[in-house]
Amino acid sequence: MKDLKFSKGLMASVLLSAGALAACSSGDDGSTAESGGEQVTVDIFQFKVEFKDQFEDVVAQYEEENPDVNIEITTVGGGEDYGAALRSRFASGNEPAIFNIGGPQDVADWKDNLTDLSDTGAADAALEGTLDGVTVESEVLGLPYNQEGYGFIYNTRLFEEAGIDAASITDYASLEEAVKTLDSKKDELGLESVFALPGKETWVTGLHLSNTFLAPEFDNNVLTAYDADSVDFEYGEGFKKILDLQNEYSKQPTVSLDYSQQVEELFSLERVAIIQQGNWAYGSIAGIDQELADSGVGMMPIPVEGLEESGLPVGVPMYWGVNSNQDEEVVTASKDFLDWLYTSDAGKTAVLEDFKFIPAYEGYDTSKITDPMSKTIYDASEAGDTIGWVFMGYPTGWGQDELGANIQKYLSDEASWDEVVDSAKSAWEADRGE
Amino acid sequence: MRTRELSYWLFLAPVLLALGLVVVVPMVLGLFYSFTAWNGIQTGEFVGFQNYINLFTDERFLDSLWFTTKFSVVSVILINFIGLSLALIVTSKIKTSSLLRTTFFMPNLIGGLILGFIWQFIFLKVFASVGEAVGMESLQAWLSTTETGFWGLVILMSWQMAGYIMVIYIAYLEGLPNELIEAAEIDGASTIQRFRYIIFPLVAPAFTVSMFLTLSNTFKLYDQNLSLTAGGPYNSTEMVAMEIFKTAFVQNAFAYAQAKAIIFFLIVAVIALVQVYINKRREVEM
Repeated sequence: MKDLKFSKGLMASVLLSAGALAACSSGDDGSTAESGGEQVTVDIFQFKVEFKDQFEDVVAQYEEENPDVNIEITTVGGGEDYGAALRSRFASGNEPAIFNIGGPQDVADWKDNLTDLSDTGAADAALEGTLDGVTVESEVLGLPYNQEGYGFIYNTRLFEEAGIDAASITDYASLEEAVKTLDSKKDELGLESVFALPGKETWVTGLHLSNTFLAPEFDNNVLTAYDADSVDFEYGEGFKKILDLQNEYSKQPTVSLDYSQQVEELFSLERVAIIQQGNWAYGSIAGIDQELADSGVGMMPIPVEGLEESGLPVGVPMYWGVNSNQDEEVVTASKDFLDWLYTSDAGKTAVLEDFKFIPAYEGYDTSKITDPMSKTIYDASEAGDTIGWVFMGYPTGWGQDELGANIQKYLSDEASWDEVVDSAKSAWEADRGE
Repeated sequence: MRTRELSYWLFLAPVLLALGLVVVVPMVLGLFYSFTAWNGIQTGEFVGFQNYINLFTDERFLDSLWFTTKFSVVSVILINFIGLSLALIVTSKIKTSSLLRTTFFMPNLIGGLILGFIWQFIFLKVFASVGEAVGMESLQAWLSTTETGFWGLVILMSWQMAGYIMVIYIAYLEGLPNELIEAAEIDGASTIQRFRYIIFPLVAPAFTVSMFLTLSNTFKLYDQNLSLTAGGPYNSTEMVAMEIFKTAFVQNAFAYAQAKAIIFFLIVAVIALVQVYINKRREVEM
């Protein structure tokens, strides 16, 4: 009797454990089996959700041309989540062959896992300055995705009706003048306010706006910012003025105003005339009003008081890195794919027309860029009228969590401007002093 | 000793295995990492108690802990009050009681993230429109100050959890022996007296359970916090769970975040256990 009970118990528990274990392991079986033979499998772990479908189409095209390469794409969106997901991918041992890295901090973190890409054609073709953030002692550890830029996006029709010539806005005084003109004609133009300042989006204030005023201090070079032990806010007064101007003439309360309110609800419906955003807003505007996005908007630089010339801040938001821990053939296949994507004719067409990227490489037929903001940015970067993206060299979390959060405090009258600046300075020094 | 039998342990094995893999092992690993300079990629050197020493002077962590505590106290009281009130309503002899039960429980079936976005819309748009229509300043610009952010979270949480807590109270209320209440009625006790001296002490076990659930839930709140205020304005409505997440994944201070998480775990465990202990003593044996 006792034996029977024992064996029943044994069977039940063995079955249960087996079931639990089987559930854990069943994941891997499929993929390894089918990729057998001589195919090389390249795992891509990337973060740009917006172009996932187009990217998959292009990859399918590449696989057709190169039957011995099998590319698996995983897309995990959003900046923060991507970093976390990438770390767990590495921790699990299932390392991707190609993954994304941001600025110098990512390069420092992942250095041991990155291959030197300086022998690729794409690295040769990369525009000047775009590789700065990922170059460590003549080793190129990443290839740029694309270029992006931001500034004040304005509504051309409203400017015309108010009798303002955007080209004449070159400094703070003329901007203030234009804003006052717009404000006085608010009712005729059907405006709710002139600006929409999204104080909730700390990346708009803490990263992008601050970059405009901190870039000259760091010679427009992200690495200078990354190596700097302190920050001076040399153009802090101009920073405050632009912030105040945007805040004063914005729909209130600015602290809880977010991206979708700013771009979709207010700007796209022509209820505000100027917003501080980048070319990525094209998709959001086009989703509401295609015509406005294609022919009714323009972009101008944010004027920096005390500086003669201020350009559009243009930079590389993301880089492709190749995992050096992979087999030799996988690394080669990965490099070949990236080369093909950015330097072959088919790849170039896809980059320009399907991804709608502003290319960070030479040899592109840029007349195919259709959206007006991207065009302005590409023209500016060709003419050299740009300033760098130094915010990628800020201490980790400093821009958004420290400066951005303190700007929210300032906007809700909980802190003075001097307190914001002082706190930001000491946070920078504390981080770099370690 | 029957418990020493092999089959006893074999029966337990699957559970122990699962518990070990997803709770014990990560916990021990986490404890280990909290003593290192782990950055999420490399373990880094051993730093002893440095992470723990740092966090007691970390203003942001302490602020979020204080905010979470305030939020929990207010929410626990409100949720239990509303939950018990709803339970009393639906167990009284009204006709629509099963419809009401379903309705009150409904918010619980919606995920926290979605709820946050729904209430964000209500606070930002509906409140503002109503405020404009009736001319009430106080209904405008919700979530843009710390106070409105706080009450926004409390309202959201109470609305969501009250229905769940109601179900627990219903279970206990319906299990009350009728003869006790009848006897009290015959003795001339009023409705309020009956509630105060008969019903209330008898549903005390429900308090233990409900308090435990609400306390641990409000302390560990993350998704509602993320979708409703995202910690804004200026990180003043950031709760501990979110603060820890940001330390790890925004500032990349993984080991430090791990140390915070361990301290947070200890705090929640101590509060929850003390609460259960105290409430258990109050319960009346029938």
